[in-house]
Amino acid sequence: MKRTVTFTNEQIAAYAEASGDHNPIHLDDGFARSVGLPGRIAHGLLQMGIAGTVAAEAAGGGARLRRIRCRFAGMVVPGDTVTFTAEPAGPHKLDLGAVNQRGEPVLTKAGAEYG
Amino acid sequence: MTEAGEAGASASASLAGRTYPAVTFDIDPARVDAYARAIGADPADGVPPTFAAVYSLGATAPQLFGDPEAAIDFARLLHAEQEFVWSRHPKPGETVSSQGRIDTDISRRGMRFVTFETQTRGAGGDEICRSRALFVIRS
Repeated sequence: MKRTVTFTNEQIAAYAEASGDHNPIHLDDGFARSVGLPGRIAHGLLQMGIAGTVAAEAAGGGARLRRIRCRFAGMVVPGDTVTFTAEPAGPHKLDLGAVNQRGEPVLTKAGAEYG
Repeated sequence: MTEAGEAGASASASLAGRTYPAVTFDIDPARVDAYARAIGADPADGVPPTFAAVYSLGATAPQLFGDPEAAIDFARLLHAEQEFVWSRHPKPGETVSSQGRIDTDISRRGMRFVTFETQTRGAGGDEICRSRALFVIRS
C-alpha cells in the first residue's frame, strides 16, 4: 500500500485548525526561523495521520487498527513530496515508511498492528 | 553511561509520576470530518484512528505545556516519537475522558527527555486508547 503526498501550506493550516495544534512553527515562517527552523514545518502528527490512512487501508479498515507508532526523524516543509508505505511484517503487523523526494526517511521505527 | 548528576544535567527536579486531572472531550462529528479531510481520509469511513492525536494527546498535552513547574519551552520542544494503542475507537458523538501523566523526565547533556502518557476512557468508563509521546526539549 502506498500514498504520495505533496505538502502545502493549505493542508498544514487545515490540520492545525482541525487538530487544535496552532504552534506557530507550523504556521508562521518568521517565527519558525526565529527558533532555528528553515521556515514553517508540517506537524509530525499530520505525517502520522497520513501514515495512519495507509495503515488503515492495508489493515482492511481503520476500525481494525490496534496500535501505531513512529519516530519523527526528519522535518517536512511545504513543497516536500513524501511517499507513505505500509507493508506486511508478520501476522497482523505492518511496517510503515515515509520517505521524501530526496530519499530521506521522515518517519522511522514506524509500524502498526491490527486485529 | 555516566553517573547521575553529571555536568549539564538540569537543576530542575524530575516530574516523573506527575498526573494531571482528567479532561473530557466530545467526539464532535464536524471536527472529525475536518480532521479526516486534513489527513486525506474519507470522512465516510468514520473516526480516523489517529484522531487520538486530538481526543487523547491533544486533550491533555496543554496541561503539561501550561504547567509552570514543568517549565517546557514550547519553542524548543520537539515531538520525537509517538505511539497510540487502542482497545476500540470512539464513536461520533461519544464523550471520552483523558488523563495525562508524566512517565519519565530525564535531563542529559543539555537535553530534556519527557515521556508523557495519556489514558483515554470511553463514555462507559472502559479504556479505549493509550497515547505515549516522547518530547525532547533543547536547552
